[in-house]
Amino acid sequence: MSDDIHVRALRKVFRQKGSGVPVVAIDRLDFTVRRGEVVAIVGKTGCGKSTFFNILIGLEKPTEGAIEIDGRTPYGDFDHFRGRIGIVFQQDRLLPWRSLLDNVTLGLEVIGLPPAEQRSRAERWLHRLGLDGFLRAYPGELSGGMRQRAALARAFAVNPSILLADEAFGHLDEVTARQIRGQFFEMVRSEGKTAILVTHQLEEAIDTADRLLVFGRPARLLADVGVTAWPPAEVPALRTRVQDVIETNQPDPAIAAKEPS
Amino acid sequence: MTEPSAARHSEAVEAVEVARTGRWPKETIVSLAAFFVLWHLASMMLPPFVAPSWARIGQSLADILARPEFIAVTVARVAAALLVSFVLGMTLAMAMYRWNAVERYLMPFVKLLMAVPVLCWILFAVLWFRNREVRIAFILVVVCAPIFVIDLLDGMHGVSKDLRDMVRALRPSARQFFAKLILPATVPAILTSWKVNLSLAIRVVTMAELVGATSGIGYALLMANETFSVAEVFAWTVVLVVILMLANIAVTRLERRLLVWRE
Ligand SMILES: Nc1ncnc2c1ncn2[C@@H]1O[C@H](COP(=O)(O)OP(=O)(O)OP(=O)(O)O)[C@@H](O)[C@H]1O
Ligand SMILES: [Mg+2]
Repeated sequence: MSDDIHVRALRKVFRQKGSGVPVVAIDRLDFTVRRGEVVAIVGKTGCGKSTFFNILIGLEKPTEGAIEIDGRTPYGDFDHFRGRIGIVFQQDRLLPWRSLLDNVTLGLEVIGLPPAEQRSRAERWLHRLGLDGFLRAYPGELSGGMRQRAALARAFAVNPSILLADEAFGHLDEVTARQIRGQFFEMVRSEGKTAILVTHQLEEAIDTADRLLVFGRPARLLADVGVTAWPPAEVPALRTRVQDVIETNQPDPAIAAKEPS
Repeated sequence: MTEPSAARHSEAVEAVEVARTGRWPKETIVSLAAFFVLWHLASMMLPPFVAPSWARIGQSLADILARPEFIAVTVARVAAALLVSFVLGMTLAMAMYRWNAVERYLMPFVKLLMAVPVLCWILFAVLWFRNREVRIAFILVVVCAPIFVIDLLDGMHGVSKDLRDMVRALRPSARQFFAKLILPATVPAILTSWKVNLSLAIRVVTMAELVGATSGIGYALLMANETFSVAEVFAWTVVLVVILMLANIAVTRLERRLLVWRE
């Protein structure tokens, strides 16, 4: 099992509920994310980033093309991917009637871990995220930052090999966002996870990811940048060029050419 | 019984207010005291068969409480009918939630049932059933079950897409999805529908008992009416109101325990 994510000629067209007018959310995507890579996706609002994630976690099916992991599709093979792909959403989406501890055990209940292990694993992750004192607290009693940390704990506790984060830190204040983002990447790298995150913060993406995928609107790959191949001195230039690519919605083959060999 | 759910609910809310705060609001005490005094004045001026004195009413209450069988019978009828209605309502709501087609075909019928006035159900019950208990149970269930169906289904559909997507991304079985998300998310709606139906059932059961029952509060009211005993009618009314309030207090207590996370 390689756990590489192969995206092949992916296309997604929605039909608007009322009028039936088709909306192209994903035009065409082709790329592979290798195991252990940390990838950031940037693009204009509404360019289909969340739709891509929804297909990857199995909530939507593509109109054409496929996403394959180990020769299976996450939207086709419901049971196979249980516990393998974790996601942190923009809002924490904690269940308000469950304590933090019970929110983190939710995913462990679904994969059928014995209760004692559910508990100890959940406690371990909440501890790692600095939430020891709040195991029995309800989400409504906590700050946005603490809730988002609990959401991270929930995602990591099931020990998925692939982690997705969809604007997971965008709604928090800058200091908190930086802190939690830092924890996210520390955990991703120390556990050797594959991570894909969507962000509006280009700077954040370049600072933290190994690789940058620039989506056009509707989603197609405008640039695929191996960030680590760029020497630090040239990073500001890179940022400007990526900005241009996003603005003009035109591919820039020159950036792509600078991919690591 | 075609009022919208909000109006039905508001009646239950007042008694619940008492239970929530643990004491009567000042305005309630003032208005009840005013009523008490006015009635007292009226009883001094009007003949006793129009406005009996508090002393007479108190005597009737004492008589009633000395033989509480009728109260017990009525309470048992309401409890049994509500339990059956709830199980039926929950089962139907779950089926409707699970299978769209069930909702599409069954919902118009449920709404039709809700549009029928209680009086018509009472007449139908007399025409269709001979057994008195069956008549009463039929009337209560046919009135209460549709409300359970609609309120519970509403609660289930009200679970946010965000939460449904979050749980679905964990890839639970259909059973887990229902048990871990839909059911707990529906608890507030379940409690509200119980409050609504308690007050409704207690009002309807007395009407149902008027028709051919030989026991229960409705029957006692009928007897009191035939003997022109206003004091007794009044006393029974007090008993009914108190039963409803106690029931509401019980549900509110339960609500407070189940919904601590909301505070
Ligand atoms: N369920 C749906 N039905 C119809 N259209 C949809 C649906 N989901 C998304 N779309 C449309 O698909 C397009 C892409 O939406 P998506 O949410 O994937 O964008 P995004 O890149 O995540 O945007 P943002 O940065 O604002 O989060 C939008 O035009 C959106 O209106
Ligand atoms: Mg989005």
